[in-house]
Amino acid sequence: MLRPPSKVWWALLAAALVTIAARGAQDKAGAPAPQAAAPDAKTADNKPATYVGSETCQTCHEDIYKAFQQNPHHLVESDRKYRHTTQACEACHGPGGKHAESMSAGDIRQPAKLAAAAADRICLSCHLNQPTHVGRINGSHAKNQVSCVSCHAIHKNGPEGLVARQPADVNRQCASCHSDVWASFQRPFKHRLPESAMSCVDCHNPHGSALPHQMQTVDANEPGCFKCHGDKRGPFTYEHAPVRMEGCTACHEPHGSANPRMLTRAQVGFVCLECHANLAQPTPAANGTLGTVPPAFHDMRVPRFQNCTVCHQKVHGSYVDRNFLK
Amino acid sequence: MRFLLALLVMVPALAQTTPQTTPPAAPGTPQATPAQDQPPAGAGQTAPAQPAVEAQAGTPTPAGSPAPTAGENFHGSIDFGYRWLTDVHGSQDVYRSVVDLAQGPRLFGLEFTIADPNRRLFDQVDVRADGWGGEPYRTAHVDARKRSLYDFSFDYRDIAYFNSLPSFANPGAPGGFDEQSMDIHRRTLSAGLDLFPGGHFVPYLAFDHNSGAGSGIETWAQDSNNEYAVPTLLSDSTENYRGGMRVEYSHFHLTLEEGGTTYKDNDQASDATLLTGDNTTPVFGETLNLSSLQQAYGIRGHSIYSKVLFTANVTPWLDVYGQFLYSEPKTDVNFSEIAAGNFLDISQLLFYSSLVTMGTGTDNQPHTTGNIGFELRPLRRLRIIESLMTDRYHDAAAPNVMIAETAVTPTSSLLISPFNPLTNFSEYVNYNQQQIDVLYDLSSRLTLHGGWRYVWGDAQTLAGELSETPFATGQLKRNTGIGGLTYRALDKLSVSLDFEGASSDDVYFRTSLNDYQKGRARARYQLAKALSLQANFQVLNNQNPAQGIHYSFQSRDNALSILWMPDSGKRISLMGEYDRSTLSSNIDYLTLPFLTQAVSQYRDNAHSATSALNLAIPGVKDGKLTIGGSMFVSSGSAPSRYYQPLARISLPVNRHVSWNAEWQYFGYGESFYLYDGFRTHSFITGIRLTQ
Repeated sequence: MLRPPSKVWWALLAAALVTIAARGAQDKAGAPAPQAAAPDAKTADNKPATYVGSETCQTCHEDIYKAFQQNPHHLVESDRKYRHTTQACEACHGPGGKHAESMSAGDIRQPAKLAAAAADRICLSCHLNQPTHVGRINGSHAKNQVSCVSCHAIHKNGPEGLVARQPADVNRQCASCHSDVWASFQRPFKHRLPESAMSCVDCHNPHGSALPHQMQTVDANEPGCFKCHGDKRGPFTYEHAPVRMEGCTACHEPHGSANPRMLTRAQVGFVCLECHANLAQPTPAANGTLGTVPPAFHDMRVPRFQNCTVCHQKVHGSYVDRNFLK
Repeated sequence: MRFLLALLVMVPALAQTTPQTTPPAAPGTPQATPAQDQPPAGAGQTAPAQPAVEAQAGTPTPAGSPAPTAGENFHGSIDFGYRWLTDVHGSQDVYRSVVDLAQGPRLFGLEFTIADPNRRLFDQVDVRADGWGGEPYRTAHVDARKRSLYDFSFDYRDIAYFNSLPSFANPGAPGGFDEQSMDIHRRTLSAGLDLFPGGHFVPYLAFDHNSGAGSGIETWAQDSNNEYAVPTLLSDSTENYRGGMRVEYSHFHLTLEEGGTTYKDNDQASDATLLTGDNTTPVFGETLNLSSLQQAYGIRGHSIYSKVLFTANVTPWLDVYGQFLYSEPKTDVNFSEIAAGNFLDISQLLFYSSLVTMGTGTDNQPHTTGNIGFELRPLRRLRIIESLMTDRYHDAAAPNVMIAETAVTPTSSLLISPFNPLTNFSEYVNYNQQQIDVLYDLSSRLTLHGGWRYVWGDAQTLAGELSETPFATGQLKRNTGIGGLTYRALDKLSVSLDFEGASSDDVYFRTSLNDYQKGRARARYQLAKALSLQANFQVLNNQNPAQGIHYSFQSRDNALSILWMPDSGKRISLMGEYDRSTLSSNIDYLTLPFLTQAVSQYRDNAHSATSALNLAIPGVKDGKLTIGGSMFVSSGSAPSRYYQPLARISLPVNRHVSWNAEWQYFGYGESFYLYDGFRTHSFITGIRLTQ
């Protein structure tokens, strides 16, 4: 098995040590820990802000307070586990004593106005340690400054509130940024998202995933495709290598295609021939040698040989035949 | 499922008689009831995506004041009506493959929420269902929860999968275009129950079912001599059971899960008519045919897996996470096939009349996955994210397939030949990835990020039968540099840029990502309070210059969308989106039978657009007219057109009832396969009841 160059690991180790040392020096110097989630320690007049409780917030923010009673975050108000009993508002907004006195928006933390990473730290102070967020650290949304509040309206309730549940709502939300992807679903051969039979989160985990493109995993960390296409999962006696090694997108455009069955090429024959190139030997020195050996001597000019899957129909893997005929 | 439909209809009906123990919401209180703003009948078929105002990356909008107040015990809506279709002009098969809507009475949508003010069995139950009564996509979903006790979810989907495309089969087949077609339903059911016996321990159970059932046409291939389209019954199902425990503390989380999967595939093909197959040319003066076939798959699979997940906030400046999984799926094969006809064994130049194939075998595929990573925040503005992943499939197969041929020439005799002498072999795929990302907030408005990804692995697979060696091996080694920035210039403008550039020493396949550059730019601008614009640009360039491959791939995608909502869209709103994409691919191959050099070229130049213009109908409170739809036009290797304009009207009858109507046109055309085209109109009228 190949291993990364050892220099890389030494460099990483050195970077980690330097970082930790720098961290320690910073702590010794009395610098505050960079916790965006921590409540604002002091306010403009340098007085420590104090917690006043959610009922004080209700005095002015009656509508939000009432709606919040049915919001899942209301749990923070009563559950000691979250360490903000009766202070659910201030769990995210920080201590509100100064704001309650001045009624100035500048005296309260507004997560929606913070930079993405800082806003996320507030949410992740509770939500990091949950299974759906195991991939959060490594998710591309987190790395691209797409904060939690970009998708979750924290105070809201109802169908499009804290969490969009209905497929149409989920799709609308994702498409508001990924408009180029949504355009693919206007093609004739696509998954049934425009019909609201599916949603983006059926295949992608917006919080992150170990797989590329934030793909959902099912069961034994297999690609989310197999949740619906269980007959393609195997294991097969005769595996078709790309299915395991490159996934469904080696041959399919899952968002939509002008080609039948969402294939990457207009004719089945070319989907196959681009790998099974009929090279008598794997002449390329290294790159891309799997599958280059000729599978047979078909006369590709004859129509009956042009759609390979007419005969090689078990192309996702076969239990019986190494040529995927049955 | 009819029972489920009846249940779904009855429950809200009964629920409406629930006594109101608390006064109704005060007038004027904003309510997130479903309803008037949602598309009525038709359930959003090709409904354009209206950008969610609150979902604006980088410029989150403060959440507005919401939603149902504590006094409501029930609210919901039901949409029902009738769909008419004009005759489908063109190919009915392609229409069903692409659209597949039929006419008749429908329950287009149903959703309701029940809240129990006394919090006895549940705090709240949410139910929704769509497409019942004959739609090709039927869904049902139930969420029920009781605070500090349980959280239950149930999801059911039945998606019709009809596929019969002339261009996908053998266009020269004497029997017509019926090869490789199917008319099946794929059904998925998921149920999960989380329990909250205490503050920190959450046991959970879950069950998933996935099945496919229906009929189709498959091909029975008799070597390369001839192939016959035969009817088949498709039946497969997968069940997954899992349970575990989540341990949740403020500084760490641990999940332990044990799960199992069972799988069965009972596909059957049978035919008793005389079929001549695709090859009607006599061979040595004999016409090949298939007079009867009985084929049955008896595939059984099972697997048990163990999974461990953890996350931890080790210190305020360090988060770590990790995951480990081990599974060992196994498959048992029991296949039988009896065919009669006039067949040719070309290797022995013998004709024979019957063929019996018995296949047994097992397959065992241990699968180990692990990943670990951390996020380090050594300085206020600096984040370092490191991740390491490994994923290993090791496959051991033991197939045993025997073929018995009964010859008629020269005399009846039994020829038994092992179809594949390779009865015990192993394959493997090892994949490893490490990635480090560094993110730095140069200012409160500008974040830079850069990183490096290294991917490596190796694999062994069965080689083709004509290969000199039984196995083929491949390696993967790729270095990728990553960079980008996110810039929030003003509250009105946000821009993000991302770039990846990679160089590979080894890749598995000719079309794999090799030496590639990928770039993406996204910008959003709030031009005015009611007008916002968004632009996306994406480009990918992948090259593999190796001799015999010469792979060159370029794709580009530009999208521009606009959202105009004056006065919060009370009287008029407009959403429009236009996308232009191009794709160009060239790769060398040798064409058979003379192994002549050729280039596989693929081009796709596509334009697509969606729009929705919403107008309030003057003089009719809450009356709404929507005009829009989508279109797709492409040229290149698969020139095609697909239009779906629509118009929709919603007129309230009273506070709880509205009348909805919709017209939609579906038109599809293909330049190379003219017989693939179709066009039809769909009309819907229905009633929405809202509580």
